[in-house]
Amino acid sequence: MVRVAVVSGRRAVLATVAGACMVLTGCSSMQQPDVEQAATTFEESGADPATRCELLAPATLVEFEEKESASCAEAIEDVPLEGGEVESVEIWGGDAQVRLSGDTLFLTETHAGWRITAASCQSRGEAPYDCEVEGP
Amino acid sequence: MSEESRGFARDNALSLTFGGLFVLTLAGQAVSGTADYNTQQIVEGLEPVTLFEYVTSSSFGIDVMENWQSEYLQFFLYIFATVWLIQRGSAESKKPGEEGPESDKEQRLGRHANDDSPEWARTGGWRTALFSRSLGMLMGGLFLLTWAASSIAGWAAFNNEQLGQRQDPVNWFGYLGEADFWNRSFQNWQSEMLAVGSMAVFSVYLRQRGSPESKPVGVAHADTGQTG
Repeated sequence: MVRVAVVSGRRAVLATVAGACMVLTGCSSMQQPDVEQAATTFEESGADPATRCELLAPATLVEFEEKESASCAEAIEDVPLEGGEVESVEIWGGDAQVRLSGDTLFLTETHAGWRITAASCQSRGEAPYDCEVEGP
Repeated sequence: MSEESRGFARDNALSLTFGGLFVLTLAGQAVSGTADYNTQQIVEGLEPVTLFEYVTSSSFGIDVMENWQSEYLQFFLYIFATVWLIQRGSAESKKPGEEGPESDKEQRLGRHANDDSPEWARTGGWRTALFSRSLGMLMGGLFLLTWAASSIAGWAAFNNEQLGQRQDPVNWFGYLGEADFWNRSFQNWQSEMLAVGSMAVFSVYLRQRGSPESKPVGVAHADTGQTG
């Protein structure tokens, strides 16, 4: 009996946590399709460079062009974008992370929709990801 | 002897005033918090948010909840601590020798109750036991609820920040082990302990004429528990 009570108590706690989380993150499951769409369109093999550049967040676009000393449409062609299947999506407030089988991307919500703030990223454990394309 | 009513507003002036001040200051926090948040958004090259977006965000949630939980912790601890601990000379303390829950006669319980005593003070059993501790229990319960809410809002805000810095988010249990959660908790708790401790000591030597939080002005420093 005690065991059952403990388990159901833990479930209640987890349900409360999940419910509160949903409220605080602005019902992230509703935003998941849009986030996935932006990430997969950006990473799609053979995607038009102009389309990819339109999907970059404004500050990321500026930073990327400055770093590469070239227009985004030219420079983006040299970035290795492996793409692949969506493995996980995390949305917290106006920020998101999409893990694909070949890459990890970070996104931000703008008035024009979800835009990429960083792509072609490698994990460095506790430290921030090392990204080929990234904003300030 | 019951006091004569002098109208709703005067009878409830203290709670109405602080209720109003609470709403005004919360609104002030919302407006200034939005401006502060948007300053940071612009620095990071991100879009500003509206007032509504800010007050429904985890950032506002944690800023509100971390303060609420520490206030309720303060009152919970103070209510229970002043049952057992005294401060000689303080208006905030019982007299030396009165430590503990006191007798039924002193607390007007059961057969010692007055005609106008609350019913649960008279009935005895679990009702009286519960009612006798209801103020502290409510404060303790509110502390636990707001601290839990603070952990959830803090978790969401922390993960939002993690993603903004291109770092992996953590789960709720992971957040409870993060320095961010404990730093937020301790920095609020320490200020409450300081405020309560200093009030207990200041009221030994200083007076505020007419305030029940102070001893009457002419009462000796060594007199404990008098209020004026």
